[in-house]
Amino acid sequence: MAVETPKGPALGYTTESTRALFRVVILCFIAAAAIASRLFSVIRFESIIHEFDPWFNFRATKYLVANGFHKFWDWFDDRTWHPLGRVTGGTLYPGLMVTSGAIYHALKTLTVPVDIRNICVLLAPACSGLTAFATYLLTNEMTTSPSAGLLAAIFMGIAPGYISRSVAGSYDNEAIAIFLLVFTFYLWIKALKLGSMLWGALCALFYGYMVASWGGYAFITCLLPVHALTLICMGRYSSRLYVSYTTWYALGTLASMQIPFVGFLPIKTSEHMPALGIFGFIQLIGFIEYVRSAISGRQFQTFLVTILVATFGLGLLGLVGLTSLGYIAPWSGRFYSLWDTGYAKIHIPIIASVSEHQPTAWPSYFFDLNFLVWLFPAGVYLCFQELRDEHVFVVVYALFGSYFSGVMVRLMLTLTPVVCVAAAMSASQILDTYLSWKSVVPAEEQEAPKKVRGGLRGVEKPNVGIYSPLTKVLVSGSILVYLLMFVSHCTWVTSNAYSSPSVVLASRMPDGSQHIIDDYREAYQWLRQNTKEDAKIMSWWDYGYQIGGMADRPTLVDNNTWNNTHIATVGKAMSSREEVSYEIMRQHEVDYVLVVFGGLLGYSGDDINKFLWMVRIAEGIWPDEVKERDFFTSQGEYRVDEGATDTMKNSLMYKMSYYNYASLFPPGQAADRVRQVRVPDQGPVINTIEEAYTSENWIIRIYKVKDLDNIGRDHVNAAAFERGQKKKKPTKKRGARVLRVD
Amino acid sequence: MRIFQSILPLCLLFAGGFAKKDSYEEFRQLSQRSSPLKLNDATYSSLTAAPRNHSVAVLLTALETRFGCQLCQEFAPEWEVLGRSWTRGDKAGESRLIFGTLDFADGRETFISLGLQTAPVLLLFNPTIGPHAAASPEPVRYDFTAGPSAAEQVHSWISRQLPNRPHPPVQRPFNWLRWASTVTIVLGVGTALASASAYVLPIIQNRNIWASISLIAILLFISGHMFNHIRKVPYIVGDGHGGVSYIAGGFQNQLGLETQIVAAIYGVLSFCAITLAVKVPRMADAKTQQVAVVVWSVILFLVYSFLLSVFRVKNSGYPFSLPPFM
Repeated sequence: MAVETPKGPALGYTTESTRALFRVVILCFIAAAAIASRLFSVIRFESIIHEFDPWFNFRATKYLVANGFHKFWDWFDDRTWHPLGRVTGGTLYPGLMVTSGAIYHALKTLTVPVDIRNICVLLAPACSGLTAFATYLLTNEMTTSPSAGLLAAIFMGIAPGYISRSVAGSYDNEAIAIFLLVFTFYLWIKALKLGSMLWGALCALFYGYMVASWGGYAFITCLLPVHALTLICMGRYSSRLYVSYTTWYALGTLASMQIPFVGFLPIKTSEHMPALGIFGFIQLIGFIEYVRSAISGRQFQTFLVTILVATFGLGLLGLVGLTSLGYIAPWSGRFYSLWDTGYAKIHIPIIASVSEHQPTAWPSYFFDLNFLVWLFPAGVYLCFQELRDEHVFVVVYALFGSYFSGVMVRLMLTLTPVVCVAAAMSASQILDTYLSWKSVVPAEEQEAPKKVRGGLRGVEKPNVGIYSPLTKVLVSGSILVYLLMFVSHCTWVTSNAYSSPSVVLASRMPDGSQHIIDDYREAYQWLRQNTKEDAKIMSWWDYGYQIGGMADRPTLVDNNTWNNTHIATVGKAMSSREEVSYEIMRQHEVDYVLVVFGGLLGYSGDDINKFLWMVRIAEGIWPDEVKERDFFTSQGEYRVDEGATDTMKNSLMYKMSYYNYASLFPPGQAADRVRQVRVPDQGPVINTIEEAYTSENWIIRIYKVKDLDNIGRDHVNAAAFERGQKKKKPTKKRGARVLRVD
Repeated sequence: MRIFQSILPLCLLFAGGFAKKDSYEEFRQLSQRSSPLKLNDATYSSLTAAPRNHSVAVLLTALETRFGCQLCQEFAPEWEVLGRSWTRGDKAGESRLIFGTLDFADGRETFISLGLQTAPVLLLFNPTIGPHAAASPEPVRYDFTAGPSAAEQVHSWISRQLPNRPHPPVQRPFNWLRWASTVTIVLGVGTALASASAYVLPIIQNRNIWASISLIAILLFISGHMFNHIRKVPYIVGDGHGGVSYIAGGFQNQLGLETQIVAAIYGVLSFCAITLAVKVPRMADAKTQQVAVVVWSVILFLVYSFLLSVFRVKNSGYPFSLPPFM
């Protein structure tokens, strides 16, 4: 998996074409390494779709392949969000499904028989090869060093920050979106450098593709205007900037509006306003520049500058005014929470509850980037040396990328490309310097470099090179050690942290052999085979996509989370008393309830650990009926053992999780291995539902919702009768016994 | 203030002795002057005495600095805003709600009799007689577990407890001072910039300054500063043996000081890389250059080795290390 990276211009004697050949071969190796390092999960387990969201994408892709594009576009899905349904065609980013559908049909035309599932599983690794290539192109725009691009490509290919979202089977929007992100940036830089309308149009085209693929397109929508504005503020306005920005914005916005999910958002919401504002601003500057070229006069220029500043200010005021009057939607919650970091926690628990929306602690950076994390600032510093337009882009991208990745852990993904580019720039600068065997040119013999006004300190002196071969060996040797460690780090991280499908769990047996825990699929298969085609399954939203994809049964809520009230309804059903929940379940025609319970196996991602989020989300809608406080003991502890609160013990979730659990253990030994506590021997009693299925390791438990009682009893009485408990009859008043006398 | 406090119970006693007709009216008139009312033990018990035809919202708090109740301090201005705007918005007193504040210094007896160990506590007493009478005379308790609450949150909670009554909305006083100071500062800075542009412009256009600002910002972000900001992690904690623990255990945990150490490590490593890449090749003297290369490479190696060892503290299963910090 380690690829020989070229060490600078060492191949001095070769001709240009041989070098080009070498580059192609090396790039192919890099792509191969990028793909190979993502295949751990396929080799260890099987070719399977991972996690949660990919299951929906997979299901949508199957629908697309089976029904064709037009039906897919108009798809109304009545098997999710029962009884509401979801306008799926209009509420998804279709880029991913269309891409794999196109690949499928292309292969079919070439008469290559391939299962659509395998295309979906392998799409992300294949795209990572393309991403490495796009990074190569982008880096080559930044520097003249021949090795920087190749280094950036291999960094990008195997950096865990990107692998985390693109292993085989992780069939998610990010799989293709990162390639599109990097490639759009490359095209933007190219357009800006050449001032070319063609490259600008290409940039817009790929921007449109990006919009069709991932909600993260807003990152491009905001970064390019910021770059343009920075350039203008630095006094670097040029007709190149005008042409490239205008072309990109006009065509790109039109392209993005073709996606039904995006529609008119680009002219209506705040996160798109910077791009629109800079578009207007740049027109104004273009006009003024034109006038200035026609007329001269110092006072006139001052006048123009005043107009410019005033218009900008007025435009900003107008924007604020329109927003407060409600013509422009304010920042959407998910986006707004990036700025006001406390916002989501108070107002949108459903966003705060997602683990990938948490802030990033420093170990994650080192885990995902290894030694790139300290080469990255050095690379940004190198950008300040020349500070051409494209270097400004790297600086702006680095600042924004690192801020956003700090706020939200999943945005590490958007930071990784710039880290690879900047780190490759500094690494290649070091390698080029210390691997050069050219003899030193003393400073006196060199012509003094041109004095650049406002340059960096320390670079005024001429570059003489390195004198001693010993130091060359020392530095290149240590860099080689770091590079090798980087490769082993990436392999280790990928293999240990990012290659688990999470649908299938792996554990080690005492003898070291691998034991596969397959409860999820076992349970979903049970649902598929033993329930009616249209049996409605209620579960927490995390499992909605998987139930839809693997069990093919309608669900109440799923990972799309578009309707907070509906999710809160499920949360309320889970956290209320059985009698209350039964009403809710009857109203929503629920047939089965599915819970995930990890107590037996020590699987910590189970529903009891997520339970407080259900309570919080339900409390947001019904603050009087569900109270988070009631689930904590008076000491403020969240307990599930003997000392749990009554509300906790009576909640449907607790009952379903611990029903009959104690019977697995000898008396007094029943323990929950996740929360490390003893659970009471006398387990909860359930009346309105009955246990239908429990998987091998008890991870998934499915309950059937009972129908109304045949003879009109309430469920408590009916269940008590079933258990053989005698109904307590009020003892009738009888008179004293008297002897019957005839 | 002291005088007023001593007069208040007198007034109340007077009121109570003179006419037992409606304590609500008395308190309402008092609270027209200042709401929430500042209570003490005596006024508290007369305000919440059992046959009452009004609601009372009492905040039991400990504002003195020696108690170190941060939550009390943070909530106090919000409570003031709520009490004032409710009383203003309900001049006729139709909501029949009195706001009161009982500080621990004035109401030690009450705190003891209620068995309170913590502050602040917000109690809402429902009326026991009259049209809004509740079933239980016991007060309802507001939950401060989610940290300091805004006036709006408490307002919505109180509104839920008092159905079928007017709920005057929270009106925050217009912050003239802030606006005035913002405008002054903007104008002042603008004027200063315009007049001193000959001196300021070279600074603004200085590449070194921008480079250092960017690098510092990046170093802060990649060492987890935003996590500290959002999660409000402690700067430093004890290790339980009287010492100080610099590194928090666990992969998803960190301390304020820890991130600064990490930022410093990253800074040193980046500086070494920059020096090796940019500065050293420009040294004209061969001997100096050799020494510089050796020194910076060794520093780079040692600090990176140290970084790896710190990371192994966070992630105990991490297999890679460099000497000497194995």
